[in-house]
Amino acid sequence: MDSLFTGLLQESISGTALGCIYALIALGFTLIYKASEVVNFAQGELMMVGAYVNFFLVTSFMAESGEPTGWIFLSGFIGSILFAVLFGWFLDRIINRPLKDEPVFSVIMATISLSIILRAVVSMFAGPMSLIPVSPFGNQIVAVGGIVISILDISIIVSAILLVVLFYYFFHKTKWGIAIQATSEDPVAAQLMGIAVKRVYGLVWIFSAIVATISGILLAPRMSLLDTSMGFLGLKAFPAAVLGGFGSITGAIAGGIMMGVIETISMGTLSFYFSWIKEINDIIVWIVLIAILMVKPDGLFGVEKVRKV
Amino acid sequence: MLKLVGVETFYGKIKALHGVSLEVKEGQLVTILGANGAGKTTILKTISGLVEPEHGTIHFNGQRIDGEDSEKIVALGIGHVPEWRRIFPELTVEENLLMGGFLIKEKELLYERMEEAFRHFPILEKRKKQIAGTMSGGEQQMLAILRALMIRPKLLLLDEPSLGLSPILVRDIFTTIKDLHQSGVTILLVEQNVNRALSIADYGYVLTTGKILLSGTYEELLNEEKVREQYLGEGKYMRRSKLWSG
Repeated sequence: MDSLFTGLLQESISGTALGCIYALIALGFTLIYKASEVVNFAQGELMMVGAYVNFFLVTSFMAESGEPTGWIFLSGFIGSILFAVLFGWFLDRIINRPLKDEPVFSVIMATISLSIILRAVVSMFAGPMSLIPVSPFGNQIVAVGGIVISILDISIIVSAILLVVLFYYFFHKTKWGIAIQATSEDPVAAQLMGIAVKRVYGLVWIFSAIVATISGILLAPRMSLLDTSMGFLGLKAFPAAVLGGFGSITGAIAGGIMMGVIETISMGTLSFYFSWIKEINDIIVWIVLIAILMVKPDGLFGVEKVRKV
Repeated sequence: MLKLVGVETFYGKIKALHGVSLEVKEGQLVTILGANGAGKTTILKTISGLVEPEHGTIHFNGQRIDGEDSEKIVALGIGHVPEWRRIFPELTVEENLLMGGFLIKEKELLYERMEEAFRHFPILEKRKKQIAGTMSGGEQQMLAILRALMIRPKLLLLDEPSLGLSPILVRDIFTTIKDLHQSGVTILLVEQNVNRALSIADYGYVLTTGKILLSGTYEELLNEEKVREQYLGEGKYMRRSKLWSG
């Protein structure tokens, strides 16, 4: 019984770390959706691109100096964020702005094409081989009682908390943050306030790219291999965003963590008792999602939408 | 101050304005009257850059503004209170006013203006942390007007401020508009409540299907038979008593 408990606790912690990554991807979905009602299906690919850029920066810095020091990882990180800023800005220019008067559906289709293009471009540059991701923490672990936690997982959870606090502060306390909220509520009224709505959308894409890149940097070392299929993980974060009630930041976080924990526990403890769970583990989050949506169609944190005539 | 010459605006292929020319002089309260769908709202939207005119010119204080982005037009000093108020329903009252003052760079000035707005309408101060969408229609309308006043616009565009309000609130709103006008704000008012609108306006334009039909001062318009018939309910078809007397 005791070992069952430690097992569950162990899985909950590593599930939370995985869930934090889902949460960050879901946050990226939510940001763009909240502002422009566009579901960005390339969110997972943005994460993948971020992970690759970070990998190449870190490895080329390492080739220069030879030693994998903390500074190398830090400058790799900063370089990747700078890249994300440019990339988000660029995507806004090529996808969002040209399609601004088209139906939202066209923009969504464009993001689907973008996801395919990004996968192709990355494998063109990086080659077909999978890479072995690098991490500043290696395989270091801490053991508390009978529970083993990897430093990497701790760093993921800490970064996620930091990011969420930062975003919360930005959205509720700064002028541009409130302006993004205002634009998502009523873009026409926002324009009449003198808010440059075009720039707000650009900002949102940049933020979304930054969050995606950070989640990519955090996730890559957690996977044994880095390849373009990493983008498909974006699809796993999709139920997290839906579960949280698409468009709610708190919901995206809670939904993401829940998904991570459910997936890890079902793969670990549950499959130990019921071997058939292993077979369906990849779809278990979707089953949970459908079950919850049957009871709460607007998600856990979603607000029922009442459209005024 | 504001001058429209031959403005034509389209929604897709549908022509909403057929060469509208009108003028608002500094300090005036000008009203645009007309039935539903005549294009009144379109005129205001075209002025503030929400839609772009196909033909014609719009000048504001000598500067050509047609085709400019909304944010630039707002920055020049045109405030616009849109139809149905369109406050930000999920933001608080305070955040709504903050957005009204989005273009104000200095923080002190912004909060000073907000204090002034609260002095103008004290109920809002008590509700400043309240989610704006939960307030009553009248309070929302006041908030929408105060929000547009945050930047101290030289010209205020008001689109149907009395829409959906109870008669008492309508009276209050019109008193507010009159006060604003007397304090020196130039106003372009679009209203369905013709009697009230004309009673406070210096000058009026009558619009039908995207064209200016008539224009004149309050007295001049009152003397026009067409205005009386169609907008003031004095036409022969409107006399209900005659219907019954056969």
